[in-house]
Amino acid sequence: MSGVLTLGSLDAAFTAAADLEGEEVVVDLGSIDFVEPAGICGLAALIEYLLPRSRGIKLSLSGSDVPAYLERMNFFRLFGGRVETDRDISALEDRRRHNPGTLQELVNFRTEEEIPGIVERISEILENQGYRIRERVAICSTLSEVCANAAEHGTDPSSEAGFGAYAAVQAYQHIVSGGTRRGEEVLVAIADGGPGVRQTLSRNPENAGLTTTDNDALRHALSMGVSASGELGRGGGLPLVAQISARASGSLSLRSGTARVTAYKERTNSRNVPPFPGTFVRVSLPRPSEV
Amino acid sequence: MISLNTVRTLQVTEERARRVYDVAAAGDGGKLMVTRGAGRRVREALGSLLEGLPRGGVLYVDTRGVELMDYSFADEAFGILASRMTGGEYGDRHLVLIEAERDLLENIEASLRQRSLAMIRVEAEGESPGIVGDLPDHLVETLQTIYGTDSITNADLAKKLGLNHTACNNRGTRLAKLGLIHRRKETAAPGGRQYTYEGIA
Repeated sequence: MSGVLTLGSLDAAFTAAADLEGEEVVVDLGSIDFVEPAGICGLAALIEYLLPRSRGIKLSLSGSDVPAYLERMNFFRLFGGRVETDRDISALEDRRRHNPGTLQELVNFRTEEEIPGIVERISEILENQGYRIRERVAICSTLSEVCANAAEHGTDPSSEAGFGAYAAVQAYQHIVSGGTRRGEEVLVAIADGGPGVRQTLSRNPENAGLTTTDNDALRHALSMGVSASGELGRGGGLPLVAQISARASGSLSLRSGTARVTAYKERTNSRNVPPFPGTFVRVSLPRPSEV
Repeated sequence: MISLNTVRTLQVTEERARRVYDVAAAGDGGKLMVTRGAGRRVREALGSLLEGLPRGGVLYVDTRGVELMDYSFADEAFGILASRMTGGEYGDRHLVLIEAERDLLENIEASLRQRSLAMIRVEAEGESPGIVGDLPDHLVETLQTIYGTDSITNADLAKKLGLNHTACNNRGTRLAKLGLIHRRKETAAPGGRQYTYEGIA
């Protein structure tokens, strides 16, 4: 791993983790110098995936920025008792927790009842940071819909990774997701340990033929009214999140199984990728500079 | 949203019971309305209020104090409620949404459209009504004609729309079933009966 920690940079680790038989594992983050919400959620999902397969997990860290960021994002509070680190992080815990850019530290949730509290907190922070009501609504609606999907489908008791879901949100004072545009950007990332989109949608016979591959299933999930239950009114959240991100000239990325689909304003890209156990969602909501 | 503003604000011919439910101020509500669970609780509160209304009564649901409403909440609170009202679960009782033209309506609109349903919306009590949701053009035309009068019989409505009585009655029945109008059966001489339609807001 090097540079920016995203979900993609953990692909090799997920692939290797599938073959573990109780060995000790070292996750080397030594060359990472920047972590985005997708990276921290991916790391959380990876550790949850590794825990039942390994004898112990050690994080290899270097420098001070990444460990400090992980601490600010509550990572060590959530995983401190379950992973070791190759350096003393107790000093980080004593630091004053101040990061005006952080909207939502890494949070683990399992039920829908926890979501309003998460959304309320982010809404307050956004308001304090001067985000207009329309922008707050877009960000919070996105978060609540994706979290609700994760809470509903990420806690399948038959799934090996029964950790519920992790979410993280970060506001940046620059555009992170490529391009040369000027402005700010909010990134939302959520990872759940459920059975994945294809298996979930396959419960509904109406989706047969449209969920043959993981890529098919992810594209199908972006259509209005597509759901696991087939109930009228269901399956509207994700397409609306895609609309919100497209309106902001951002993107919605879904990853599940061996597929990744990213929806932009005018196109949707699909790719085959190494397997991800569960479902991962990343939403980019740019905030262009005012002229 | 389709506006019915082409018509004048009307006085209903008979005073009907009305109640107002302020979603932001209610115990089951709040300013941030997200998730299906929260929507279910609000729907149950609205259902109880509807059941407590006399026949012909109107429940105004005021969402103007709500800052955020996600699709899941909107579908659970309004989509399912509208669906049940159309199914006749609340009899001749009606629901009117009080909400300004803003982003929050998008999720209610999406839910109602997915269900091929519609609701009457006003910006404030007594203001001109409009429609949020999905309604075919011919029913919009019929609705606008009905809301353009205090009260209109099926025969007069048929004449205004250039329809035969049966076709007009079908439209009136559909609009009444959707909860968008009030429909009364009246006796018409000699020994016959006729339907009269009125707006609900």
